[in-house]
Amino acid sequence: MISIEIEFSSPDTLPGVLDILAEYGDDATVLSGGMSLLPMMNLGLATPDRVVSLNRVGTLCSVTDDGDELVIGSRVRHAQVAADPLIVRHCPALSSAAKRIGDVQVRNRGTIGGSVSHADPSADYLPALLASGADIVLESRSAGRRRVSAAEFFVDLMLTAREPTELVTEIRVPKLQPGWGAAYIRFARIEGSFAIVNAAAILPGRGPGGTLALGGVGGRPVTADIAGLGESGWDDASVAAAGDAAFEASANARGDTMSDAEYKREMARVHARRVVRAAAALAAQP
Amino acid sequence: MKATVQVRVNGQDRSVEVDTRTIVADMLREQLRLTSVHIGCATGNCGACTVFLDGRTVKSCCLLAADVDGHEILTVEGIETNSDELHPIQECFIENQGLQCGYCTPAMILSALALLTENPRPTEEEIRHGIAGNLCRCTGYHFIVTSIQAAAERMAQNATAALSGTGT
Repeated sequence: MISIEIEFSSPDTLPGVLDILAEYGDDATVLSGGMSLLPMMNLGLATPDRVVSLNRVGTLCSVTDDGDELVIGSRVRHAQVAADPLIVRHCPALSSAAKRIGDVQVRNRGTIGGSVSHADPSADYLPALLASGADIVLESRSAGRRRVSAAEFFVDLMLTAREPTELVTEIRVPKLQPGWGAAYIRFARIEGSFAIVNAAAILPGRGPGGTLALGGVGGRPVTADIAGLGESGWDDASVAAAGDAAFEASANARGDTMSDAEYKREMARVHARRVVRAAAALAAQP
Repeated sequence: MKATVQVRVNGQDRSVEVDTRTIVADMLREQLRLTSVHIGCATGNCGACTVFLDGRTVKSCCLLAADVDGHEILTVEGIETNSDELHPIQECFIENQGLQCGYCTPAMILSALALLTENPRPTEEEIRHGIAGNLCRCTGYHFIVTSIQAAAERMAQNATAALSGTGT
Protein backbone atom coordinates (compact mmCIF):
# COMPACT_ATOMS: atom_id res chain seq x y z
CA MET A 1 0.00 0.00 0.00
CA ILE A 2 2.96 2.29 0.59
CA SER A 3 4.34 3.16 -2.81
CA ILE A 4 7.81 4.36 -1.99
CA GLU A 5 10.58 2.31 -0.45
CA ILE A 6 11.68 3.19 3.05
CA GLU A 7 14.83 2.71 5.06
CA PHE A 8 13.53 1.35 8.35
CA SER A 9 15.39 1.25 11.62
CA SER A 10 14.27 0.42 15.10
CA PRO A 11 16.96 1.21 17.68
CA ASP A 12 16.56 -0.36 21.09
CA THR A 13 17.82 2.65 23.02
CA LEU A 14 17.08 6.36 23.13
CA PRO A 15 20.71 7.26 22.26
CA GLY A 16 20.34 5.02 19.22
CA VAL A 17 17.34 7.07 18.07
CA LEU A 18 19.08 10.37 18.80
CA ASP A 19 22.12 9.24 16.77
CA ILE A 20 19.95 8.68 13.72
CA LEU A 21 18.20 12.03 14.18
CA ALA A 22 21.60 13.72 14.61
CA GLU A 23 22.80 12.20 11.36
CA TYR A 24 19.70 12.60 9.22
CA GLY A 25 17.63 15.38 10.82
CA ASP A 26 14.62 16.17 8.68
CA ASP A 27 15.37 13.22 6.41
CA ALA A 28 14.44 10.84 9.22
CA THR A 29 10.78 10.53 10.22
CA VAL A 30 10.03 9.30 13.71
CA LEU A 31 7.42 6.56 13.99
CA SER A 32 5.78 6.13 17.38
CA GLY A 33 2.21 4.78 17.38
CA GLY A 34 1.85 5.67 13.71
CA MET A 35 -1.83 6.57 13.98
CA SER A 36 -1.31 9.70 11.88
CA LEU A 37 1.92 8.83 10.06
CA LEU A 38 0.82 5.49 8.61
CA PRO A 39 -2.47 6.79 7.15
CA MET A 40 -0.49 9.63 5.59
CA MET A 41 2.04 7.17 4.17
CA ASN A 42 -0.71 4.89 2.87
CA LEU A 43 -2.29 7.86 1.12
CA GLY A 44 1.04 9.06 -0.26
CA LEU A 45 0.73 12.33 1.69
CA ALA A 46 3.85 11.52 3.69
CA THR A 47 6.76 10.06 1.73
CA PRO A 48 9.61 9.59 4.18
CA ASP A 49 12.81 8.02 2.87
CA ARG A 50 13.86 6.94 6.31
CA VAL A 51 11.64 5.85 9.19
CA VAL A 52 13.00 5.44 12.69
CA SER A 53 10.68 3.52 14.99
CA LEU A 54 10.55 4.11 18.73
CA ASN A 55 8.77 0.85 19.35
CA ARG A 56 11.84 -1.11 20.37
CA VAL A 57 13.15 1.54 22.76
CA GLY A 58 12.82 0.11 26.25
CA THR A 59 12.37 3.45 27.98
CA LEU A 60 9.99 6.44 27.57
CA CYS A 61 6.97 4.31 28.42
CA SER A 62 6.40 4.99 32.11
CA VAL A 63 4.39 7.44 34.18
CA THR A 64 6.17 8.68 37.29
CA ASP A 65 5.43 11.00 40.18
CA ASP A 66 8.00 13.79 40.46
CA GLY A 67 6.65 15.85 43.33
CA ASP A 68 4.59 18.71 41.93
CA GLU A 69 4.33 17.18 38.50
CA LEU A 70 3.86 13.89 36.69
CA VAL A 71 6.38 12.75 34.11
CA ILE A 72 4.79 10.92 31.22
CA GLY A 73 7.13 9.15 28.81
CA SER A 74 6.53 10.05 25.20
CA ARG A 75 5.87 6.41 24.26
CA VAL A 76 2.98 6.05 26.72
CA ARG A 77 -0.05 5.00 24.70
CA HIS A 78 -3.39 6.81 24.88
CA ALA A 79 -5.12 3.87 26.59
CA GLN A 80 -2.59 4.10 29.40
CA VAL A 81 -2.93 7.88 29.70
CA ALA A 82 -6.69 7.35 29.99
CA ALA A 83 -6.43 4.71 32.72
CA ASP A 84 -3.18 5.32 34.59
CA PRO A 85 -4.09 5.87 38.28
CA LEU A 86 -1.53 8.67 38.72
CA ILE A 87 -2.81 10.58 35.69
CA VAL A 88 -6.47 10.00 36.56
CA ARG A 89 -5.83 11.33 40.06
CA HIS A 90 -3.44 14.20 39.39
CA CYS A 91 -4.06 15.25 35.77
CA PRO A 92 -7.72 14.38 35.17
CA ALA A 93 -8.15 16.77 32.22
CA LEU A 94 -5.44 14.82 30.41
CA SER A 95 -6.89 11.39 31.17
CA SER A 96 -10.33 12.65 30.07
CA ALA A 97 -8.81 13.91 26.81
CA ALA A 98 -7.07 10.56 26.22
CA LYS A 99 -10.36 8.68 26.72
CA ARG A 100 -11.89 10.59 23.82
CA ILE A 101 -9.13 10.06 21.26
CA GLY A 102 -10.13 8.12 18.15
CA ASP A 103 -11.44 4.71 19.12
CA VAL A 104 -10.32 1.65 21.10
CA GLN A 105 -7.78 0.50 18.51
CA VAL A 106 -6.29 3.96 18.06
CA ARG A 107 -5.97 4.42 21.82
CA ASN A 108 -4.24 1.05 22.09
CA ARG A 109 -1.49 2.09 19.68
CA GLY A 110 -1.19 5.88 19.49
CA THR A 111 1.18 7.62 21.89
CA ILE A 112 1.11 10.94 23.70
CA GLY A 113 4.52 11.90 22.33
CA GLY A 114 3.40 11.11 18.81
CA SER A 115 0.24 13.18 19.13
CA VAL A 116 2.11 16.11 20.67
CA SER A 117 4.82 16.00 17.99
CA HIS A 118 2.29 15.73 15.17
CA ALA A 119 0.45 18.75 16.63
CA ASP A 120 -2.80 18.42 14.77
CA PRO A 121 -4.67 21.53 15.94
CA SER A 122 -7.73 19.44 16.80
CA ALA A 123 -5.83 16.82 18.80
CA ASP A 124 -7.45 16.05 22.13
CA TYR A 125 -4.37 16.50 24.28
CA LEU A 126 -3.49 20.01 23.19
CA PRO A 127 -5.94 22.16 25.18
CA ALA A 128 -5.55 19.87 28.20
CA LEU A 129 -1.76 20.29 28.15
CA LEU A 130 -2.02 24.03 27.61
CA ALA A 131 -4.55 24.53 30.40
CA SER A 132 -2.43 22.36 32.72
CA GLY A 133 0.70 24.42 32.09
CA ALA A 134 2.54 21.31 30.91
CA ASP A 135 6.08 21.28 29.59
CA ILE A 136 7.42 19.21 26.72
CA VAL A 137 10.92 17.77 27.14
CA LEU A 138 13.07 17.52 24.02
CA GLU A 139 16.37 15.71 23.71
CA SER A 140 19.06 15.68 21.05
CA ARG A 141 22.67 14.57 20.68
CA SER A 142 24.04 18.09 20.24
CA ALA A 143 21.85 20.20 22.53
CA GLY A 144 21.04 17.69 25.26
CA ARG A 145 17.81 18.19 27.10
CA ARG A 146 15.51 21.18 27.15
CA ARG A 147 12.04 21.94 28.50
CA VAL A 148 9.59 23.93 26.44
CA SER A 149 6.22 25.06 27.75
CA ALA A 150 3.18 23.81 25.85
CA ALA A 151 2.39 27.47 25.09
CA GLU A 152 5.70 27.80 23.23
CA PHE A 153 5.92 24.26 21.88
CA PHE A 154 2.81 24.45 19.70
CA VAL A 155 3.69 26.99 17.02
CA ASP A 156 1.16 26.53 14.25
CA LEU A 157 -0.67 23.89 12.25
CA MET A 158 1.43 20.71 12.67
CA LEU A 159 4.41 22.89 13.49
CA THR A 160 6.19 22.69 16.83
CA ALA A 161 9.32 24.00 18.51
CA ARG A 162 10.96 20.60 18.00
CA GLU A 163 14.18 20.80 15.97
CA PRO A 164 14.69 18.05 13.37
CA THR A 165 17.45 16.47 15.46
CA GLU A 166 15.31 16.43 18.60
CA LEU A 167 12.94 13.87 20.01
CA VAL A 168 10.06 14.52 22.40
CA THR A 169 10.94 12.31 25.34
CA GLU A 170 8.69 13.41 28.20
CA ILE A 171 5.54 15.35 28.89
CA ARG A 172 5.68 16.95 32.35
CA VAL A 173 2.30 17.92 33.72
CA PRO A 174 1.75 19.90 36.94
CA LYS A 175 -0.55 18.14 39.36
CA LEU A 176 -4.00 19.50 39.93
CA GLN A 177 -4.00 21.50 43.15
CA PRO A 178 -6.13 20.18 46.01
CA GLY A 179 -9.67 21.46 45.79
CA TRP A 180 -9.41 22.47 42.13
CA GLY A 181 -11.52 21.03 39.33
CA ALA A 182 -10.43 19.99 35.84
CA ALA A 183 -12.49 19.08 32.81
CA TYR A 184 -12.12 18.39 29.10
CA ILE A 185 -14.81 18.34 26.43
CA ARG A 186 -14.82 17.90 22.69
CA PHE A 187 -17.36 18.73 20.03
CA ALA A 188 -17.34 16.48 16.95
CA ARG A 189 -19.79 15.07 14.43
CA ILE A 190 -19.24 11.45 15.39
CA GLU A 191 -17.16 9.50 17.86
CA GLY A 192 -13.70 9.01 16.44
CA SER A 193 -13.69 12.04 14.19
CA PHE A 194 -11.42 14.95 14.92
CA ALA A 195 -12.91 17.61 17.16
CA ILE A 196 -14.39 20.72 15.56
CA VAL A 197 -13.50 22.48 18.77
CA ASN A 198 -12.31 21.14 22.09
CA ALA A 199 -11.67 22.78 25.43
CA ALA A 200 -10.09 22.19 28.81
CA ALA A 201 -10.53 24.13 32.04
CA ILE A 202 -8.65 23.91 35.32
CA LEU A 203 -10.21 26.01 38.03
CA PRO A 204 -10.26 26.68 41.74
CA GLY A 205 -13.72 26.68 43.27
CA ARG A 206 -13.22 30.36 43.99
CA GLY A 207 -10.40 32.80 43.44
CA PRO A 208 -7.77 33.50 40.82
CA GLY A 209 -5.47 31.33 38.79
CA GLY A 210 -7.83 29.23 36.70
CA THR A 211 -7.01 28.43 33.09
CA LEU A 212 -9.16 27.79 30.03
CA ALA A 213 -7.71 26.52 26.74
CA LEU A 214 -9.30 25.83 23.38
CA GLY A 215 -8.29 23.67 20.43
CA GLY A 216 -9.45 23.50 16.83
CA VAL A 217 -9.77 27.25 16.55
CA GLY A 218 -6.60 28.00 14.63
CA GLY A 219 -3.23 26.47 13.93
CA ARG A 220 -2.38 26.06 17.59
CA PRO A 221 -4.24 25.70 20.88
CA VAL A 222 -5.04 28.99 22.59
CA THR A 223 -5.73 30.14 26.11
CA ALA A 224 -8.68 32.37 26.90
CA ASP A 225 -8.14 35.27 29.27
CA ILE A 226 -10.25 34.44 32.30
CA ALA A 227 -8.18 36.40 34.83
CA GLY A 228 -10.52 38.08 37.28
CA LEU A 229 -13.41 35.73 36.53
CA GLY A 230 -14.81 33.34 39.11
CA GLU A 231 -13.36 35.33 42.00
CA SER A 232 -16.55 34.83 43.93
CA GLY A 233 -17.43 31.44 42.44
CA TRP A 234 -18.59 30.46 38.97
CA ASP A 235 -22.02 32.04 38.67
CA ASP A 236 -23.85 32.40 35.37
CA ALA A 237 -22.30 35.80 34.63
CA SER A 238 -18.73 34.53 35.11
CA VAL A 239 -19.42 31.45 33.02
CA ALA A 240 -20.85 33.62 30.22
CA ALA A 241 -17.82 35.91 30.44
CA ALA A 242 -15.50 32.88 30.12
CA GLY A 243 -17.42 31.94 26.96
CA ASP A 244 -16.90 35.44 25.60
CA ALA A 245 -13.20 35.20 26.42
CA ALA A 246 -13.04 31.95 24.45
CA PHE A 247 -14.73 33.66 21.49
CA GLU A 248 -12.14 36.44 21.64
CA ALA A 249 -9.27 33.96 21.95
CA SER A 250 -10.53 32.15 18.84
CA ALA A 251 -10.10 35.15 16.53
CA ASN A 252 -7.68 33.17 14.33
CA ALA A 253 -10.07 30.26 13.79
CA ARG A 254 -9.85 28.92 10.25
CA GLY A 255 -12.78 27.50 8.37
CA ASP A 256 -12.65 24.05 6.81
CA THR A 257 -14.94 21.85 4.75
CA MET A 258 -17.15 21.08 7.75
CA SER A 259 -17.38 24.37 9.60
CA ASP A 260 -16.58 27.99 8.85
CA ALA A 261 -14.52 30.16 11.15
CA GLU A 262 -17.44 32.04 12.71
CA TYR A 263 -19.19 28.78 13.55
CA LYS A 264 -16.05 27.49 15.23
CA ARG A 265 -15.79 30.66 17.28
CA GLU A 266 -19.38 30.33 18.43
CA MET A 267 -18.82 26.69 19.27
CA ALA A 268 -15.72 27.72 21.20
CA ARG A 269 -17.90 30.07 23.22
CA VAL A 270 -20.53 27.42 23.92
CA HIS A 271 -18.04 24.69 24.81
CA ALA A 272 -15.96 27.04 26.93
CA ARG A 273 -19.05 27.69 29.05
CA ARG A 274 -19.73 23.98 29.34
CA VAL A 275 -16.19 23.03 30.27
CA VAL A 276 -15.97 25.83 32.84
CA ARG A 277 -19.22 24.66 34.41
CA ALA A 278 -17.94 21.07 34.45
CA ALA A 279 -14.59 22.01 36.03
CA ALA A 280 -16.23 24.32 38.56
CA ALA A 281 -18.63 21.56 39.58
CA LEU A 282 -15.64 19.33 40.33
CA ALA A 283 -13.81 21.98 42.35
CA ALA A 284 -14.39 22.26 46.08
CA GLN A 285 -17.36 24.56 46.51
CA PRO A 286 -16.51 27.93 48.06
CA MET B 1 14.82 -2.53 1.82
CA LYS B 2 14.06 -6.02 3.11
CA ALA B 3 13.55 -7.18 6.67
CA THR B 4 12.92 -10.49 8.38
CA VAL B 5 10.03 -10.41 10.82
CA GLN B 6 9.76 -13.01 13.54
CA VAL B 7 6.19 -12.94 14.70
CA ARG B 8 3.90 -15.31 16.60
CA VAL B 9 0.62 -15.50 14.71
CA ASN B 10 -2.34 -17.41 16.08
CA GLY B 11 -0.03 -19.36 18.35
CA GLN B 12 2.53 -20.28 15.70
CA ASP B 13 5.98 -18.77 15.34
CA ARG B 14 6.47 -17.44 11.84
CA SER B 15 9.41 -15.92 10.06
CA VAL B 16 8.40 -13.64 7.22
CA GLU B 17 10.55 -11.83 4.68
CA VAL B 18 9.00 -8.44 4.00
CA ASP B 19 9.76 -5.24 2.21
CA THR B 20 10.03 -2.60 4.93
CA ARG B 21 7.15 -0.62 3.44
CA THR B 22 4.78 -3.58 3.96
CA ILE B 23 1.92 -2.95 6.35
CA VAL B 24 0.90 -5.72 8.76
CA ALA B 25 -2.49 -6.18 7.06
CA ASP B 26 -0.77 -7.00 3.75
CA MET B 27 1.75 -9.28 5.41
CA LEU B 28 -1.06 -11.24 7.08
CA ARG B 29 -3.16 -11.46 3.93
CA GLU B 30 -0.60 -11.89 1.19
CA GLN B 31 2.18 -13.78 2.91
CA LEU B 32 0.44 -15.69 5.70
CA ARG B 33 -2.87 -16.07 3.81
CA LEU B 34 -4.94 -14.92 6.77
CA THR B 35 -7.62 -13.40 4.62
CA SER B 36 -10.00 -12.59 7.46
CA VAL B 37 -7.96 -9.41 7.76
CA HIS B 38 -9.67 -6.96 5.43
CA ILE B 39 -8.46 -3.62 4.19
CA GLY B 40 -11.22 -1.06 3.77
CA CYS B 41 -9.69 2.39 3.98
CA ALA B 42 -5.98 2.03 4.85
CA THR B 43 -6.32 5.21 6.89
CA GLY B 44 -7.25 3.81 10.29
CA ASN B 45 -10.92 4.74 10.04
CA CYS B 46 -12.90 1.62 9.14
CA GLY B 47 -11.29 -0.94 11.42
CA ALA B 48 -11.81 -3.86 9.01
CA CYS B 49 -8.12 -4.74 9.45
CA THR B 50 -8.36 -5.03 13.25
CA VAL B 51 -6.16 -7.70 14.84
CA PHE B 52 -4.87 -8.31 18.36
CA LEU B 53 -1.26 -7.23 18.86
CA ASP B 54 0.12 -8.47 22.17
CA GLY B 55 -3.41 -8.87 23.49
CA ARG B 56 -4.86 -5.49 22.45
CA THR B 57 -6.77 -4.61 19.33
CA VAL B 58 -5.03 -2.44 16.76
CA LYS B 59 -5.58 -1.48 13.13
CA SER B 60 -3.14 -3.53 11.11
CA CYS B 61 -3.24 -1.18 8.11
CA CYS B 62 -1.50 1.41 10.25
CA LEU B 63 1.36 -0.79 11.41
CA LEU B 64 4.56 -1.53 9.54
CA ALA B 65 5.32 -5.24 9.40
CA ALA B 66 8.93 -4.51 10.36
CA ASP B 67 7.62 -2.87 13.54
CA VAL B 68 5.92 -6.03 14.87
CA ASP B 69 9.10 -8.10 14.85
CA GLY B 70 9.15 -10.08 18.09
CA HIS B 71 5.47 -9.53 18.84
CA GLU B 72 2.32 -11.64 18.88
CA ILE B 73 -0.71 -11.34 16.63
CA LEU B 74 -4.13 -12.94 16.84
CA THR B 75 -6.63 -12.90 13.98
CA VAL B 76 -10.13 -14.31 13.89
CA GLU B 77 -8.69 -17.54 12.45
CA GLY B 78 -7.03 -18.10 15.82
CA ILE B 79 -9.71 -17.21 18.36
CA GLU B 80 -11.11 -20.73 18.68
CA THR B 81 -8.39 -23.24 19.48
CA ASN B 82 -10.52 -26.18 18.39
CA SER B 83 -10.71 -25.68 14.63
CA ASP B 84 -13.94 -27.67 14.36
CA GLU B 85 -15.84 -25.24 16.52
CA LEU B 86 -16.85 -21.64 16.35
CA HIS B 87 -16.20 -19.20 19.13
CA PRO B 88 -19.39 -18.23 21.02
CA ILE B 89 -19.14 -14.72 19.55
CA GLN B 90 -19.11 -16.20 16.04
CA GLU B 91 -22.11 -18.40 16.88
CA CYS B 92 -24.04 -15.43 18.19
CA PHE B 93 -23.26 -13.32 15.12
CA ILE B 94 -24.70 -16.10 12.96
CA GLU B 95 -27.78 -16.65 15.13
CA ASN B 96 -28.58 -12.95 15.43
CA GLN B 97 -27.93 -11.89 11.83
CA GLY B 98 -24.95 -9.88 13.03
CA LEU B 99 -23.58 -9.72 9.53
CA GLN B 100 -24.80 -8.70 6.12
CA CYS B 101 -22.02 -8.50 3.53
CA GLY B 102 -19.51 -9.79 6.07
CA TYR B 103 -16.66 -7.45 5.22
CA CYS B 104 -16.48 -5.87 8.67
CA THR B 105 -17.34 -9.08 10.51
CA PRO B 106 -13.98 -10.63 11.43
CA ALA B 107 -12.83 -7.31 12.85
CA MET B 108 -16.16 -6.76 14.63
CA ILE B 109 -15.76 -10.15 16.28
CA LEU B 110 -12.27 -9.26 17.46
CA SER B 111 -13.44 -5.92 18.85
CA ALA B 112 -16.30 -7.75 20.57
CA LEU B 113 -13.83 -10.24 22.01
CA ALA B 114 -11.64 -7.41 23.32
CA LEU B 115 -14.65 -5.71 24.86
CA LEU B 116 -16.07 -8.85 26.49
CA THR B 117 -12.68 -9.88 27.83
CA GLU B 118 -12.35 -6.55 29.62
CA ASN B 119 -16.02 -6.08 30.44
CA PRO B 120 -17.98 -9.38 30.40
CA ARG B 121 -21.40 -7.75 30.90
CA PRO B 122 -21.34 -4.49 28.94
CA THR B 123 -24.33 -2.18 28.61
CA GLU B 124 -25.61 -1.39 25.12
CA GLU B 125 -23.83 1.95 25.28
CA GLU B 126 -20.56 0.30 26.27
CA ILE B 127 -20.92 -2.08 23.34
CA ARG B 128 -21.44 0.82 20.96
CA HIS B 129 -18.34 2.59 22.28
CA GLY B 130 -16.44 -0.70 22.11
CA ILE B 131 -17.11 -1.06 18.37
CA ALA B 132 -16.76 2.64 17.56
CA GLY B 133 -13.55 1.86 15.70
CA ASN B 134 -15.29 -0.62 13.38
CA LEU B 135 -17.47 0.66 10.58
CA CYS B 136 -20.21 -1.48 9.06
CA ARG B 137 -21.09 0.03 5.70
CA CYS B 138 -24.22 -2.11 5.51
CA THR B 139 -25.05 -0.09 8.67
CA GLY B 140 -26.13 -3.29 10.37
CA TYR B 141 -25.16 -2.04 13.78
CA HIS B 142 -28.36 -2.93 15.57
CA PHE B 143 -27.99 -6.67 14.99
CA ILE B 144 -24.25 -6.48 15.66
CA VAL B 145 -25.01 -5.01 19.08
CA THR B 146 -27.66 -7.70 19.65
CA SER B 147 -25.13 -10.36 18.68
CA ILE B 148 -22.57 -9.05 21.16
CA GLN B 149 -25.20 -8.93 23.92
CA ALA B 150 -26.10 -12.54 23.16
CA ALA B 151 -22.41 -13.51 23.13
CA ALA B 152 -21.91 -11.90 26.53
CA GLU B 153 -24.69 -14.07 27.95
CA ARG B 154 -23.45 -17.23 26.30
CA MET B 155 -19.87 -16.69 27.44
CA ALA B 156 -21.10 -16.04 30.99
CA GLN B 157 -23.17 -19.25 30.88
CA ASN B 158 -20.22 -21.21 29.52
CA ALA B 159 -17.99 -19.84 32.25
CA THR B 160 -20.53 -20.75 34.93
CA ALA B 161 -20.94 -24.22 33.47
CA ALA B 162 -17.18 -24.71 33.36
CA LEU B 163 -16.85 -23.59 36.97
CA SER B 164 -19.56 -25.91 38.22
CA GLY B 165 -18.09 -28.79 36.27
CA THR B 166 -21.15 -29.37 34.14
CA GLY B 167 -19.61 -27.95 31.00
CA THR B 168 -18.12 -30.17 28.37
